Amino acid sequence: MASLKDKYAIVGVGHSALGKVPELSDYGLQVTAVKAALDDAGLKKTDVDAVITHSHLLGAVRVHHQNLSERLGIDTAFGVSLSAGGATSCLMVQVAAAAIEAGFCKTVLCVHGDKGATRKTVTRGEGGGEFGPEYGLFGAAGAHAFGLTRHMHEYGTTHDHMGAIAVACRKHAQLNPVAAMQADMTLEDYHNSRWIVWPFHLFDCCLRSDGAAAVIVTSAERAKDMKQKPVYVMGMGQTNNSRGYIWGDHMTELGAKESGAQAFAMAGLKPKDIDTAQIYDCFTYILMATLEDYGFCKKGEGGPFVSGGRIELGGELPTNTSGGMLSECYIEGMLQIVEGVRQLRGECGARQVKDAETAIISGNGGNAVCHSTLILRN
Amino acid sequence: MSDYAKPVPTPSEDSRIYWEATKNHRMMLQRCRACGAFRFPPGEVCPECTSEDYEWTPVSGKGRVFSFVIYHRAYQRGFADELPYVVAVIELEEGPRMLSNVTGCKPEEVRCDMPVEVVYDDITDEVTLPKFRPA
Ligand SMILES: [Zn+2]
Repeated sequence: MASLKDKYAIVGVGHSALGKVPELSDYGLQVTAVKAALDDAGLKKTDVDAVITHSHLLGAVRVHHQNLSERLGIDTAFGVSLSAGGATSCLMVQVAAAAIEAGFCKTVLCVHGDKGATRKTVTRGEGGGEFGPEYGLFGAAGAHAFGLTRHMHEYGTTHDHMGAIAVACRKHAQLNPVAAMQADMTLEDYHNSRWIVWPFHLFDCCLRSDGAAAVIVTSAERAKDMKQKPVYVMGMGQTNNSRGYIWGDHMTELGAKESGAQAFAMAGLKPKDIDTAQIYDCFTYILMATLEDYGFCKKGEGGPFVSGGRIELGGELPTNTSGGMLSECYIEGMLQIVEGVRQLRGECGARQVKDAETAIISGNGGNAVCHSTLILRN
Repeated sequence: MSDYAKPVPTPSEDSRIYWEATKNHRMMLQRCRACGAFRFPPGEVCPECTSEDYEWTPVSGKGRVFSFVIYHRAYQRGFADELPYVVAVIELEEGPRMLSNVTGCKPEEVRCDMPVEVVYDDITDEVTLPKFRPA
């Protein structure tokens, strides 16, 4: 594969109102996020010639890139709706770079947003299907929790370790005015939060949110003359553990391992070169396993690694500095990219990582079988 | 049996024979005639070697708990009377893993790698679920 290192850049980021936004529709959230990203980039809608969206919206799989483009009033040279669950976020940026590289388009809008907090949810477990619901396995939490149980068994990982992640994200959220969760959380509060499905407490699980975010990608060449200081894509990786989460070692060794290795190889960096990590934290456990698989510590040592303030601001690897999906807002990984870009532009105020020059971003989806990675620099 | 309130599996073209076997309190899986691998869930080609040549073969019904979770809330009304209940990934002696429940012990007694054996739960007149108990 030809290296795309530093050939593409993120030149604009934006998001809608976050949290509970009953007054806006799903597309209403998305178009306000697009407007914010265009303003951030100093671009007009006519400067964009491609739209990539997530194919999931209100549970329906449709041509959302077309529906969104209609609402924005733009024709595009390239458009696609992707489906890799939570890995779609970083994957959109990768597909954008590949599409520009292929000559399909020049400037790409990547958008996702949904109404996780205020939409009507479908009743779970009522329909057909087999090999899961009949045994009472419901929701993403149950499936992901298998991984933590096995990790605890193999490596002695504890709830104190998971609590350290939840507390770190909450402390960061308190420095982020738009984060949903502003109340103090102690390790004791974590332990006292109810079981969603053992071994996951409530505070192991991400939020349900309304919100949308948009990211604009173009060539490094074009990015030079734009309003914002470009944030360059140094490394990209993607892996799908498609034989399934319960197969082999996949529940304790995520697609993150190979995806991260690809991204580090393209970037020519090692984990010690990374200044901040914005990791897909659908569940505390997935954040910890991703850091292991990326090589920030050895497999099995993630529990001690995330403890003692190491992943907090001021620590060795400030992680999810916006509060993440655990305490800021859940837009399936989109805000991880937004926060990474803002950190590298030095826009994060009280939660700014001093002199941040590099960031690693992860996306993780399909019940932990799809993984995507970006390494960014300023 | 019509008052059974939990989801009832809907057999597919691929899984019909599997569910017919459990109905008769037997566990049968597809075994590849080309490479010998057992597979689950059922499918038309072997995921190891892509051979389409297979035979439905009885398996031991013995295995171990690879991992498990414990539900403390009923996300579907039918499970309300069973709380807390265990959903486990069972690794069969023959290799494949499958989701099931662990019964016959308290949830807090379940451990990873614990040996288990199959038991059959006739949930309706037509459908029987294989579950597992400590062996
Ligand atoms: Zn075979």
